[in-house]
Amino acid sequence: MERFQEFVAIAPWTMIFTWVNLLILVLVMKKLLFKPVMNMFAQREQEVGSMYEKAETAQKNAEEMESEYTEKLSAAKEEASRIMKDATHEATLRGEQIVSEAQQKASAIVTKAQKEIEREKEAAVKEIKEDIASIAVDIAGKVIEKDLTAKDHERLLEEFIESSGEEK
Amino acid sequence: MNVRGPKILFEIPVLGGIPITETILNGWIVVAVVTIFCFILGRNLSTRNPSKRQMLAEKAVTMLRDLVKTTMGEHNLFFLPYVGALFSYSILSSMMGIFGLRAPTGDINTTVAFALIAFFLIQFYGIKNNGLGGWLKGFIEPVPFMLPLNLVGELANPISMAFRHFGNIASGIVITILIYGALAGLSRIVLGWIPVIGSIPFLQVGIPAFLSLYFDLFSSFLQAYIISMLTMVYVGNANEAPSVSE
Amino acid sequence: MEMTEAIVKAASAIGAGIAMIAGIGPGIGQGYAAGKAAEAVGRQPEAKGEVTSTMLFGCAVAESTGIYSLVVAMILLFANPLI
Repeated sequence: MERFQEFVAIAPWTMIFTWVNLLILVLVMKKLLFKPVMNMFAQREQEVGSMYEKAETAQKNAEEMESEYTEKLSAAKEEASRIMKDATHEATLRGEQIVSEAQQKASAIVTKAQKEIEREKEAAVKEIKEDIASIAVDIAGKVIEKDLTAKDHERLLEEFIESSGEEK
Repeated sequence: MNVRGPKILFEIPVLGGIPITETILNGWIVVAVVTIFCFILGRNLSTRNPSKRQMLAEKAVTMLRDLVKTTMGEHNLFFLPYVGALFSYSILSSMMGIFGLRAPTGDINTTVAFALIAFFLIQFYGIKNNGLGGWLKGFIEPVPFMLPLNLVGELANPISMAFRHFGNIASGIVITILIYGALAGLSRIVLGWIPVIGSIPFLQVGIPAFLSLYFDLFSSFLQAYIISMLTMVYVGNANEAPSVSE
Repeated sequence: MEMTEAIVKAASAIGAGIAMIAGIGPGIGQGYAAGKAAEAVGRQPEAKGEVTSTMLFGCAVAESTGIYSLVVAMILLFANPLI
């Protein structure tokens, strides 16, 4: 025999069971659905935040490195041009220095040569004078051995002048 | 045909016989289904590449969360599991008509249980925020003459919530039974002269399905949404945020 | 069937019919609300979704008195406690 409850009737036990069912559902939903999903949201936010942070720091580092490199590059270029300028300057200086040195040396050699020539000329003149003196002495001896006439005198003098002139 | 209340299935012989009716049994079935559903949705969540199941779970949680936040305010966000439980219990209970079971919300006691929870929450927060004296004085405002009107107004809220929900779902049940009976009678008249198979009510096939679209799907969703929203609005009004006046 | 029972049943049937006169209220009210909603959509077609859901919500709350009368009528017809 089936018994039916009234269509509209207050049955307290049904209400109590409904409350118990709702309580079970609240706990189930909280533990199985909302907690994992909320945790996942928080974790995702954290991951995204850390990714953004990492990207920002990486970008900042990249910018810093880039500016450093451009600085270094421009400094290197500057230094290169400076070195070149210095080198050419030095080279020209050295060139001029060498040329002036060479000129000095050349003039020194010339003066030294001239002095040598002067000295030799004087030495030669002195030698000739000594030769003349010895020859004169020879001649004087010869003259004394023999009685020379005046013509012999003239002949000896001409010979002597010719020979000394030839020698000259 | 007979429109009857829920059938009493058996009685637990404890405390003078607790009648277990169809309502209670179907309520347990609803709890089991929702538990399995939540368990499937909440497993193996990954932050990078979500599967479709996970996106469904995320969307449901986000929608409910925004609803609670806009209706009740940020400080009431701890009501979210209760609102979710209420909504899912209500909508699945009302949809049991599709499966041929008697909807638990077609029993006045279920909806009165929903309404009583809201009623107690409202009064609890009224006492908690205004103190016992303040809460009692609230009934006498603005004029002491208004006391019965205020009392009736306070009681009318849960009663109307309960009866609205019950009325919609129960009338759906009654109309469905009536339609089935009418179609059986109609098919007996139209096809009854066929010798063997004339007694099978063929006209009962198909037409109730269209009605079930309204009564079982649309009406249940609307009623579940309404009872959740009304609970949220009333409890949110009772538990307003402490004003920043310092 | 006894006379009193017959009178009670007849009176319940008449009472159920009279109770359903209360169906006028939600009909007029919800029609008016739907008209206002149509006007709002006409004024701003982008808000159609929000206007629709607000209107449905308001209609369902306003329907409660009609549902009360339906419940009374159903109880009188099918689960009559007076018989």
